[in-house]
Amino acid sequence: MIGRIPWWTVVVVGVIATIWVIPVLGIVITSIRPPSEVALGWWRIDNVSFTLSAWIRVWSEYPLAQAFWFTGMLAAIATLGTMLFAPVAAYAFHFLKFRFRRVLLIIIINAFVLPQQVVVIPLFILWRDLKLIDNIAAVLIPYIGLSFAWSIFLVKNFLEDFPKELIEAAKIDGCGPISTLRHVVLPNATSPIYAVGVLQFLWTWNALLLPMLYLRSMQPLPVLLTKVAGTYESNWDLRSVAAIVTTIVPLIVFVVFQRQFAAGSQTRTGAKE
Amino acid sequence: MANSVAEQAAGPGEVSSSKGGARLRLPVTRGWRLTDAPAAWLLITPVIVLFGISVVYPLFDTIRISFFDIKGLAPAKWVGLGNYVTLFGDATFRNTLLTTLIFTVGTTVISVSLGWALAMLCAFAPAQTTPFRGMMFVTFGISEAVSGYMWLNILRPDKAGLLNAVIGIFVPGYAHSWLGDPNTALWALIFVASWSGVGLPLMLCFAAVQSIPRTVLEAAYMDGAKPFSIMRHIMMPLSLPGVRVAVFINLLGALRAFDIIYVMTGGGPVRATETVGYFMYRESMTQFKLGYGAAATVVLLVAVLVISIPAIIQRTAGAK
Repeated sequence: MIGRIPWWTVVVVGVIATIWVIPVLGIVITSIRPPSEVALGWWRIDNVSFTLSAWIRVWSEYPLAQAFWFTGMLAAIATLGTMLFAPVAAYAFHFLKFRFRRVLLIIIINAFVLPQQVVVIPLFILWRDLKLIDNIAAVLIPYIGLSFAWSIFLVKNFLEDFPKELIEAAKIDGCGPISTLRHVVLPNATSPIYAVGVLQFLWTWNALLLPMLYLRSMQPLPVLLTKVAGTYESNWDLRSVAAIVTTIVPLIVFVVFQRQFAAGSQTRTGAKE
Repeated sequence: MANSVAEQAAGPGEVSSSKGGARLRLPVTRGWRLTDAPAAWLLITPVIVLFGISVVYPLFDTIRISFFDIKGLAPAKWVGLGNYVTLFGDATFRNTLLTTLIFTVGTTVISVSLGWALAMLCAFAPAQTTPFRGMMFVTFGISEAVSGYMWLNILRPDKAGLLNAVIGIFVPGYAHSWLGDPNTALWALIFVASWSGVGLPLMLCFAAVQSIPRTVLEAAYMDGAKPFSIMRHIMMPLSLPGVRVAVFINLLGALRAFDIIYVMTGGGPVRATETVGYFMYRESMTQFKLGYGAAATVVLLVAVLVISIPAIIQRTAGAK
C-alpha cells in the first residue's frame, strides 16, 4: 500500500482471524486427546497427551468408511454429469440458432434463485410413486438438474469471450456444429468446465437435505454426521473425527481451487464487474 | 469426457439430418452434417429433461399442492386458499416469519459489514494479512453441517464449552445453555451463520479494492489524504459492487438455510429457531402435512423472488 502500514490493522485482522479458526482447532484437538483429559474443555493443559484411539475406533462405531465411499461416488457421478451436459448446452445456447433459444436460456439461468426447499415435496411424492425412494437416481437427478442454473451461466459467460474467428475457421474447414464443439470449443474451454466441476463437487459432497429425505439404506457423510452429532452422548472425540472426515475432502478441494470458487460464486449472481 | 458424449450424440444425429443437408455450400470433408437447430436440440435435450424434472415440474407442483389438503397417503382434497388462511392464522407460522426476518437480516448485516470492514483493514497491509484472509475464507469452504457441529462444541452448555469458560473467567462458575435458551438460540445461530458467511464479502470487497488503480491512491496520498479518508472516500465507494453481490448471496443463503438449523437446534427450543425454510420441512416431512408445507414453501418462494428481482432483471437483460 501507500505510506506506512498502520500496524494495528494487522493486529486487529490477526486477532479476528485467530478467533475464526478456533472452532476448527477445537474439533481437531478434541479428536486427538483422550476424553478424560478434556472433560473440562479441549483447551485445558493440566495434562497433555495425544491419542489416535478415536481415529481408530470410529470406523467400527459408525459406518463412516462406507459413507465416505458412497459420498464420493454420488459426488463424482453428479460432478461428471454436470461437467458433460452444461458445457455442451452452453455451446448450443451461445453459438447455435434455434427456436425458443432465448426463452429457454432466460428460464434456466434465472432458476439459480430457487431454494432447494422447492423441490422437496413434489420430488418426494414423485419418487414415492415411481418407487425411486432409496435409489441413487432420486438424488442424482436433482443434483444435476439444479446445477444447470449456474453451471450453464458460468460456461456461457466464458464463451462470450471465445474468439469467433476460430468458429468461422472451423466452419470453412467443413466442421458441422457438433464437430466444431468437439474439436474447437471443448478443448479450449477447459477452465470453466473445471470450475463448474469443482463447484458441483463441493455442493454435492456437502448436500444434506435431499439425501436425508430420498435415501434410506445408504446415507452420505453429512447425513451420517447429523445423526451422530444430534445425540446427547459424551463421545465428543468420535464425533469430532466424523466431522473432520466429512469435511476434509471438500475442504482440500476448496483450498486448492480457491480461485475458481471465487470466480464461480461471483458469476452465480450475474455480477460481471 | 465431454468429447466422448459429443461423439455418441453426433452418431445418430448426423444420420438423421441427411435430408436437411449442409447449411453452407462448402466442400464437406467428412460425413453428414447437422444444421444448427437439430444439433442444438440434440445438445440441450439432457439439460431440458433433467432441468424439467428437477426445477420446472417441482416449481409448478409445489404451487399446485399448496391448494390441496394432503396428509400422508390419504387422497388429496382441494381446499383452495385454505392452507394459506390456516398458515397466516397460525401463531407458530407468524412467529416463523419473524424468526426468518431476524435470521436473514441479522446474518447478512453481520457477515457483510464485518467482511467489508476486514477487507478495508486488509487493504492497508495486503501482504501481511494474506494468511489471515485465508484463515477467514476457509470457513466458507466448510460445509454447513460441519460448521454447526464445530460450534456445538464451542457452545456446550457446561463448563466444557469454550464460550462459557471464557465468560467464566470474569463470572466464576458461569454456565449458560446457549442453544437451550429460546432467547439466545437464534442469536447463536445468526452468529454461526455469519461466521461461515464472512469469507465471501471479505474476498469480494478485497478484490474490488485491489483493482483500484495505484495512481488513484497515490494521487490521493500526494494531496495529503489520511489513510482513514482514503478508506472513506475511495476504497469504500469503489468496493460497493462487491458489497452488493455479497449482500444478495448472503440474503439468499440465509433465506434457504436448513442444514445449520437442523444440526444445531432442530428448530427448537420451542420452535424459536424455525425459519420458513425449516418450517416447510417440519410440516411436510415430519408431520406429513404436504399441502400445508407446500403453502409455506410458496411463501418462501415469494420472499426469494422479491429480493431477486434486480438480479433476475440483470441476468435476463444479459442473456443474449
